[in-house]
Amino acid sequence: MPGVRSRNESAWLLPNDGTRTNHRLRRDMRRFADSDEIDLVIVGCGAGGSVLAQRLARAGWRVAALDAGPFWDPDADWVSDEAGSHGLYWTEPRVIAGADPVPLGSNNSGRGVGGSMVHYAGYTPRFHPSDFTTRSSDGVGADWPLRYADLRPYYAAIEQELPVAGEHWPWGDPHGYPHRPHPVGGNGEIFLRGARELGITAKVGPVAITNGRFGNRPHCIYRGFCLQGCKVNAKASPLITHIPDALAHGAEVRADAMVTRVAIDSRTGRALGVYYVQGGRERFQRAAMVAVAGYSIETPRLLLNSACDRFPDGLCNDFDQVGRYLMVQGAPQTAGRFDAEVRMYKAPPPEVSTEEFYETDPGKDYKRGFAIQTVSPLPITWAEHVVAQGHWGRALREYMSDYVHWSCLGALCEFLPLPENRVTLADEKDGHGLPVARFEYSQCDNDRALMRAAQAVMENILRAAGADEVITIQRYAHLVGGARMAKQKEYGVVDGNCRSFAVPNLYITDGSVLPTQGSANPALTIMAVAARAADRLAAGARGAG
Amino acid sequence: MSGRRDRFPGFDVLGQSRHWDPVTAGVVTARTGPPAPLKFFVGAERACASAVLNLLAGQVDEPRIPVLEMVDARLAAGETDGWRYADLPEDGQAWRDTLAYLDGDADARCGTTFAAAPEKDQAALLQSVLDGGDWHGLPAAHVWSLWTRYACTALYAHPSAWDEIGFPGPAYPRGYKNTGVGRLESFEVPDARPAEDPVVEDA
Repeated sequence: MPGVRSRNESAWLLPNDGTRTNHRLRRDMRRFADSDEIDLVIVGCGAGGSVLAQRLARAGWRVAALDAGPFWDPDADWVSDEAGSHGLYWTEPRVIAGADPVPLGSNNSGRGVGGSMVHYAGYTPRFHPSDFTTRSSDGVGADWPLRYADLRPYYAAIEQELPVAGEHWPWGDPHGYPHRPHPVGGNGEIFLRGARELGITAKVGPVAITNGRFGNRPHCIYRGFCLQGCKVNAKASPLITHIPDALAHGAEVRADAMVTRVAIDSRTGRALGVYYVQGGRERFQRAAMVAVAGYSIETPRLLLNSACDRFPDGLCNDFDQVGRYLMVQGAPQTAGRFDAEVRMYKAPPPEVSTEEFYETDPGKDYKRGFAIQTVSPLPITWAEHVVAQGHWGRALREYMSDYVHWSCLGALCEFLPLPENRVTLADEKDGHGLPVARFEYSQCDNDRALMRAAQAVMENILRAAGADEVITIQRYAHLVGGARMAKQKEYGVVDGNCRSFAVPNLYITDGSVLPTQGSANPALTIMAVAARAADRLAAGARGAG
Repeated sequence: MSGRRDRFPGFDVLGQSRHWDPVTAGVVTARTGPPAPLKFFVGAERACASAVLNLLAGQVDEPRIPVLEMVDARLAAGETDGWRYADLPEDGQAWRDTLAYLDGDADARCGTTFAAAPEKDQAALLQSVLDGGDWHGLPAAHVWSLWTRYACTALYAHPSAWDEIGFPGPAYPRGYKNTGVGRLESFEVPDARPAEDPVVEDA
């Protein structure tokens, strides 16, 4: 892949001796003083924050990226075990409410450098061109202030940097991938078999897992623990795809630093920097520009907790937009039982997808659609499926003993952005004395119709593949929205370049800016949006805002 | 009574621990050592929590897996799932409250504590929570979710539970070489009774 190394050397900065962390790079990392007015302080080192840090460090900016969690070392910190991976998730207190409350933690909320991509499955589909104009084309959702064509070059660039493996992709804007598709395990084989029987097109990929060496990152070993953090360095996360290059270009990553408030100059209305707590002490980092990238729950929470004289209802919240239009995807998972042994825990959970049902079908009574992908729950998560059928006690143990015979598919249904689905502050406080997030979620009729339709398709695929029993659990996946981009300040928090309408030197560069979500896993799009914002910033005057 | 123990004859996950990376091996084998003394549950909560968790985990006759101790350790450390329902208290308090309600229900039904009640009455009391609605002012489904999440996370973190489901546990750095339907590694054991769907059989 000529060209990738010249613009992002991360994979070559990792060790090639069987260990996974370049400790020297971290030890020699540049460190700024709190009193330095650096060019940019970033809050959160996940998909969006890490890409922004890497791009702007390369552009010569003086950048510090703060993260509330640890600077992970896959060798020492991560385990090939489900329960032992508890530390990967954001488990500070949060309250969920609404008619359809959405569980957080392991389901969608990461912690530490790398963010939720440390424990995401690894699927990295692009959004479809139609996702950017659902309001004008489908009469639902929202139109983005930018179009697919604006993101297209950034999608292609990030796909090379992760890199993504998969078959030629026929949906949306058809495109190829830099790495060939991985061989499939039992679960992928079942999906492909069922889809073939029904005439549904299904493809292997797209997954951000190396197929062959990439720099000093080795080939995947088909261990099946993608959701527990990749100890192999085969599955992409910013910890290995963008942070090493950022450090090599002079960025600082300040881990275990929980940002508590963005400070605003009451005279000029500009951001001055961020207050944060590290080692039990409150500190303040000055910066000419602030980018918040804490994802869809913590970003709105930080803005709301940063209320000040100028913004009494929360930073950037003059139009009551902060925290609103938060989305999750409806993610029912349907499993089928086979006499043959599927052993779905072998091979990465992300293997095969279909996007054939992605867009509005005029023949249906709902708008927009869903994607279907393999998911391969490990035993603790599989027990949730069995419990959801009403089994407990001896029946649970009996049913669980059948684990090797099950294949499991998951849908991603495009739930619509609704203003009432939002983050507010709860009365409860966290360990820093800050109000915790309260997240309300309720589905609309279109959401429920999509869930039913997706379940029916998954049941058909599994039965066509030979399943003699199917079971379904209703779940949710991913988070986006909560500080969305819009054309005008009355309808969103940031513009199409991720710059906040209210504070000229405050940016938001994470999944919370997405106005719609499609039926695609959001990581690639979050990275592409951040990369585009970084390009705009690098082209302009730094700190000028 | 149950045949789950002999579906994978001779399969012994811990016997493979020499193939695991040391960090993972440390975490997993620690679960098989003597459990730590209870720290979170106190007084009457202990017997009640033990009865509830062993019922939920299906090991009333033979509590081989220390589910009670594993749940207690999590609650003592405040290791939540990272969220709570707005209509339940935080997890620790929710456990204390719901155990007290179960003791109250058992007293009303049998004149005993929950732990001292006959198993069929215990089971009926749990089933009434699963069946839903309001339970002592709490949404029963959310209480059921709390109990089963903690119980199942403990149960299926234990290598003995992996033995009975054919799951080999940790897989680093070895990985898998034979993926695909019907393909096994040399260290995996095939199901001795593959055509028996256990729950259909029980029905």
